[in-house]
Amino acid sequence: MADEDRDHSDLSVTRRAFLKGGALATGALSSTLIPTPADAQLPVATESDPRRSVVEMTVNGVAYRKEVPNRTTLLQFLREHLTLTGAKMGCDRAQCGACTVVVNGRNVYSCTTLAVEATGAEVLTIEGLAKGDALHPIQQAFIQHSGFQCGFCTSGQIMTTKAFLDRVPRPTEDEARRAMSGNLCRCAAYKRILESVMTASRLMQA
Amino acid sequence: MAQQQNTTRTLRVIGGDGPVIDAVERVTGQAKYTGDLELPGMLVARVLRSPHAHARIAGIDTSRAEALPGVKAVVTHKDAAKVPIWGNRQRALNEQVRFAGEAVAAIAAVDEETAAKALPLIDVKYEVLPFVLDPEKALEPGAPQLFADGNLEGQPRVLIRGDVERGLAECDRVIERVYHTPTMWSGSMEPRAAIAQWEGNKLTVWASTQAPCRVQTNLTGQFNLPDSQVRVIASYVGGGFGTKSAAHVDETIAALLSRKARRPVKLQYSREEEILDSNTRFETRVYVKVGVKRDMTLHAMDVKAYINQGAYHVRLGGLGNQATHIYRIPHLRTVQYRVHTNVPNTGPTRGVGDPQETFAIDSALDEMAVEMGWDPVEFRLKNVKRNGDPIARGGSGAEDGRLVAQVTDRCLEEGAARIDWSRRSTLPGGGQTGPRARGLGVAVTERGNGGGLAGASVTVNLDGSVVVFYASTDIGTGSRTTLSMIAAETLGVPLASVRAVAGDTEVAPYDGGSYGNRTLYSTGRAVEAAARDCLDDILATAAPMLKASPAEVELGDAVVRVKADASRSLPLRDVMQRRGRSVVGDGSVTQSQAETNVERAAGAHFVEVEVDRETGKIRILRYVSAHDVGQPINVTVVENQIEGGTIQGLALTQAEELRFDARDGRCLNASFLDLKPPTMLDFDARRIEPIVIANIGEQGPYGAKGLGENPCHAGMAAVANAVYNAVGIRLRRVPFTRAEVLRALAEQRPASSRTA
Ligand code: FES
Ligand code: FES
Repeated sequence: MADEDRDHSDLSVTRRAFLKGGALATGALSSTLIPTPADAQLPVATESDPRRSVVEMTVNGVAYRKEVPNRTTLLQFLREHLTLTGAKMGCDRAQCGACTVVVNGRNVYSCTTLAVEATGAEVLTIEGLAKGDALHPIQQAFIQHSGFQCGFCTSGQIMTTKAFLDRVPRPTEDEARRAMSGNLCRCAAYKRILESVMTASRLMQA
Repeated sequence: MAQQQNTTRTLRVIGGDGPVIDAVERVTGQAKYTGDLELPGMLVARVLRSPHAHARIAGIDTSRAEALPGVKAVVTHKDAAKVPIWGNRQRALNEQVRFAGEAVAAIAAVDEETAAKALPLIDVKYEVLPFVLDPEKALEPGAPQLFADGNLEGQPRVLIRGDVERGLAECDRVIERVYHTPTMWSGSMEPRAAIAQWEGNKLTVWASTQAPCRVQTNLTGQFNLPDSQVRVIASYVGGGFGTKSAAHVDETIAALLSRKARRPVKLQYSREEEILDSNTRFETRVYVKVGVKRDMTLHAMDVKAYINQGAYHVRLGGLGNQATHIYRIPHLRTVQYRVHTNVPNTGPTRGVGDPQETFAIDSALDEMAVEMGWDPVEFRLKNVKRNGDPIARGGSGAEDGRLVAQVTDRCLEEGAARIDWSRRSTLPGGGQTGPRARGLGVAVTERGNGGGLAGASVTVNLDGSVVVFYASTDIGTGSRTTLSMIAAETLGVPLASVRAVAGDTEVAPYDGGSYGNRTLYSTGRAVEAAARDCLDDILATAAPMLKASPAEVELGDAVVRVKADASRSLPLRDVMQRRGRSVVGDGSVTQSQAETNVERAAGAHFVEVEVDRETGKIRILRYVSAHDVGQPINVTVVENQIEGGTIQGLALTQAEELRFDARDGRCLNASFLDLKPPTMLDFDARRIEPIVIANIGEQGPYGAKGLGENPCHAGMAAVANAVYNAVGIRLRRVPFTRAEVLRALAEQRPASSRTA
């Protein structure tokens, strides 16, 4: 069926743009868009096994160096190798945003980013957002507005918000809606997610 | 409970608002969902699925898969007990597969890569059978048969009231229409997941489920174990919407693999597996005959429905609520055929059959109002049941109860006022020229509150802190918070001192689970009873310490005091320390068979749409969802449910249809990208206005009613009715795609030019 048959968006963003939704607004989604610092080392296949590579990256301020199968996604790397399970698997196909983390300042779908692609990168996950017991203003705003129900999409929503507000500190509501449109919430707490993003923007200015 | 309403004590905790008590866990990534758990030595499972919509497994050879290094167990139908999964015809693994995507075998291996590599090494010989996808065709002679006893599940379900033939003959006007909803996705953000671990003969399963005790009951049957040997734990659940409301094959498959491999096994469904092998919302084809008298009374209704139950059913589709419970209809007949076909499993999905039935009945009533030139709100107000009216208690349809605490009229009146219904044009299009036209629509819905056996226990510790234990779950409905609020209110302690342990069958008494508007209503009553049990014990302990009788003392703000002399008081903590033993309260409740008062919860939805005649686009301009919630326990939780449920109802108008290839019966769109659940851009959530109608009920805890399902019911009917009001086309099949709208507009043109 034609995509346009199903487009009910008020902003006339086509379904095709849904996949790129986050990308249009916040400039990141496809892993190829991850900016790699010029001096970053490319991952190298290990001598013993060309199907494995040594991956080095900083996650939530901690440097990691691990040998993993080349096919390991960033989501698997975070969840299985670092036991950081805040990022969730909702589809594994770049179609929901539950796995969103921030890589070098950009929100990316970690399910469709290879760990080796993130070599040399600074990665921020939901676990690294709060400073000790002090919640990040975005987390405070999501609590204040109850911007969730089951919470399964919430890590992704919050990490998209983080990258978005760092780039666009004072967005309009419509800009925020576009930026958040790459993160599905099946519980459909959308009104409250939007309110959370707008409040977070104000809190981060303060 | 009547006793509450007579008390003059003001509520301290209940009726408040604010975030849920586990908000921090949910925004910091600390909340652990089933897939987040790791056990030492845990294996990863993958499932081999049938490519055929209908086939018999003539042979299955697992030896090559088993020989692959890293593979620890393979199971097939030969390993599965010949016991159906809870409430279903399906076994964990079947010798005859009945939909494309059904589990055929499963593998546990040391990692995902190995498991994936081993799957194609399983050699299955299929004897392919003819298949059928259409529920009416499945009843025709010569149709492919799914089961030895045929495709029709049981007898047609028939409810009869009055004499429908006579009633229709007595009417001044009768119309006849057909409405169709397809098989639809209804899943949650978290795909199904289960982890199984055996310790000797003791099985523990962590599952993403709404109903741990149902999963436990199923596993005891599958493995022939007593309840005491099976523990099911669901801590955080990433949504359910009914698809996780009973046992499913995944928990049993994980347990079979784990038993064979002698190691813990995690089975995590992919999104595609979740779409194909969970529950779908069942397809309905509803034939409605409605008859009225000139004085606006609804006099007769004849409903015939075909329900496509798919290959297996967790629960039979029961339509009939809308027609039997909302409206006074002296002559009513509903006949429902529940038919098996080779589409995936069906089961309860938010509202079960109510959204589908609301679409049919409330569209038909709208069509009648238009024919007769009546205002649709007035027409409904004239015919909705009022307090004191007879109403059915059970599923038989016999009106053996009496309706109480019902405010359908208030929902209609407050919603109409909010959307300013009086501006609605009585002519379709209202003379609007230009490509875009606006219209208003309404639909009414209702549902009962959950029932069945509910259980909870409450412990007051030596320091006065409180733990509530129950085996239903918080699937995002905020029940961990609202049930804790009930305990805090009942005991007289601050909410902050209460912790809820949800979803663990080993530490809590039996409870049906979280589905069908029942967690707050039923488990909540159990929590209230358990807290009251504790309170009695605490007051009896404290009274002698305060030189008073138990009736003379009360507990409030964690202090026990003498009612008549507040200066004589003791902090709860001191009472507990001096007592030196924890207080344990038990609360198991069940619906009383003697109770003839029936309370249900109504809702009315009003929508203003704008239809673009050139593009076929339907835009939601405003949407008002008015719902009777009984006593709101936490207003924020209530509004969040209404807003989210309303969008899920609207989602059914635009997409989420599962499509099947007529040539091979395979699903064509088992992905988010193709099913198109709404993103933040699809509906502007800012335009959804919940109206919380507080209306103290009689039987729920503190007069609360269940709400989770209802907001999802009315979207299809309300939007269809508004589209008619805008442009004069009648949409009788969901989803209302642009193509569908344009087709209807094109058909309308020559017709109107003929009559002009
Ligand atoms: S899990 Fe990565 S986008 Fe869905
Ligand atoms: S909160 Fe449940 S999916 Fe967003």
